[in-house]
Amino acid sequence: MHFGFQTVTEEERREKIYQVFENVAKKYDVMNDSMTLGIHRVWKDILVHKMNPCPGTLLLDVAGGTGDIAFRFINYVRSVRQRQLQRKLKHHQNLSWQEIFESYQKDEFNSLGDSQVVVCDINREMLKVGKQKAEHLGYSEGLSWVLGNAEELPFDDDKFDVYTIAFGIRNVTRIDLALQEAYRVLKPGGRFLCLEFSHVSNPLLSRLYDLYSFQVIPVLGEVIAGDWRSYQYLVESIRQFPPQEELKVMIEDAGFFKVDYENLNFGIVAIHSGFKL
Amino acid sequence: MATRWPGATPYSPIPAAKNLPGGGTGQERERKVVSKGNQQYPPLRALQASAVLRRASDEHKKEPLASSSQQHFDSPPAGHQPEQKPQGPHPSYTGQGGQESEDYESEEQLQHRILTAALEFVPEHGWTAEAIAEGAKTLGLSVAAAGMFRSDGSELILHFVSECNSKLSELLQKEQKLVQLGEAEKKPIDEFLRDAVEARLRMLIPYIEKWPQALSILLLPRNIPSSLNLLTSMIDDIWHYAGDQSTDFNWYTRRAVLTGIYNTTELVMMQDSSPGFEDTWRFLGNRVADAMAMSSTASQVQSTGEAVVQGLMGAAVTIKNLAGLNQRR
Repeated sequence: MHFGFQTVTEEERREKIYQVFENVAKKYDVMNDSMTLGIHRVWKDILVHKMNPCPGTLLLDVAGGTGDIAFRFINYVRSVRQRQLQRKLKHHQNLSWQEIFESYQKDEFNSLGDSQVVVCDINREMLKVGKQKAEHLGYSEGLSWVLGNAEELPFDDDKFDVYTIAFGIRNVTRIDLALQEAYRVLKPGGRFLCLEFSHVSNPLLSRLYDLYSFQVIPVLGEVIAGDWRSYQYLVESIRQFPPQEELKVMIEDAGFFKVDYENLNFGIVAIHSGFKL
Repeated sequence: MATRWPGATPYSPIPAAKNLPGGGTGQERERKVVSKGNQQYPPLRALQASAVLRRASDEHKKEPLASSSQQHFDSPPAGHQPEQKPQGPHPSYTGQGGQESEDYESEEQLQHRILTAALEFVPEHGWTAEAIAEGAKTLGLSVAAAGMFRSDGSELILHFVSECNSKLSELLQKEQKLVQLGEAEKKPIDEFLRDAVEARLRMLIPYIEKWPQALSILLLPRNIPSSLNLLTSMIDDIWHYAGDQSTDFNWYTRRAVLTGIYNTTELVMMQDSSPGFEDTWRFLGNRVADAMAMSSTASQVQSTGEAVVQGLMGAAVTIKNLAGLNQRR
């Protein structure tokens, strides 16, 4: 088993990764912004946009730690719901006052349209940071936090509409198990979305990217978070992670159909999508 | 619509559907569709499970086809399971033998079913991903299945158009059979065209409110190849069934004329508020009459031209005679 460029046993790997994220939890968001120059926000926006959730969707965000995807999901669903309600009101131009009053009563308490997101993470620290962020930003409705392992999810079969894992699957020790679990908890017709660092095929860009990764990022880690080893692990794990096509095959092996991937920034990041059909 | 009954012609995907862009990625893999008794929505299983069952059904293939197909076709309750497809695209894998009625469905067929189910929600939600999501829900799938299609709903519209074209084709074929069997009169060409276009346009009536939106999406550059393709194949179809009633048009002119008639009538229909769309049908009748008149005018022009030339020749000969130039001395 590899931990970055080191070789370790499976148990050691799980422990080491747990510690990495325990250490970085508080500075996780700051580091993301500085390492990717804020572009990680765009990547996550694109992921949620690609998901295009409609109100009533049940999302499971695995390795969702600090809640970035969950908050974006809630915002998106809220705005879609707003538009829906506006359209309905336009339709009902000639209602009586009583009916209008009733519709306001009903819809006011349904600004999310019954959508829900469950944030699941293996690391307690990351979940803590996430909960604090949610409180700070004012997210309360439709959000729940669960401690769990992606390789063995504490959920029933056929429960969720969408399963996302953003920048998390790289840290899972047995990716095949995680994919199987994803398949299990999704409803028929459900969608699997994975946002992850991937391989850059363009040689020039690849060299620049390597340079940036190995020279700049650990230094940033030391300066900002006081922990260059964790960030060394980060960039090494990106190199160890299977490339786009290989991951696509793994996802297909887990039983997903219509598996496809979209490269962002020439392959620095890729979004893989599959459906449980 | 897209489905055929067991025992009828073997299933073949609708040709027009192949023109739709956005096919599956890589290989087309087959889903297992289990249909038992009164179950309306087939449960879906993982590839590993279906790989195992595929082998089991292969063993059952040894049974004679006649008896097994009888058994197989009797099992679905009549009138209830239009989703059942007794023969998948690879007949060697279908469970035509034995007690199990497990069929295989490709991703494309599933997408087809979802789009068909979504049509019911179009009057309410428009041609959008929402309508597709609602359609997926009725099939027992998650709303996330709508993510398989583009979010602007263009696939839904193209699916609808190709379905309408197929229906029109079937209608015209049936009429042709009746004429061949001598049970119906062959229609004159203008009546035929008028009826065909009217029948096709009537299929839009349930969706007429949202149709302008659909037209604008069909005109997006990305969709023009497909929509143009569907349009021309429909026009060709109509001319094919119109038969050899030649009206002295050549092929391109015929296409262009009927396309013009169809498009303009469609646009008139969009803003027609008369009862039963009678204004539209009157407009259609006038346009078809114009086209017929144009054709006879064209031939008239031609024969007039010939007549004029002949007249000139005759005049020249007369003058020569009068001037005595024709005499042989």
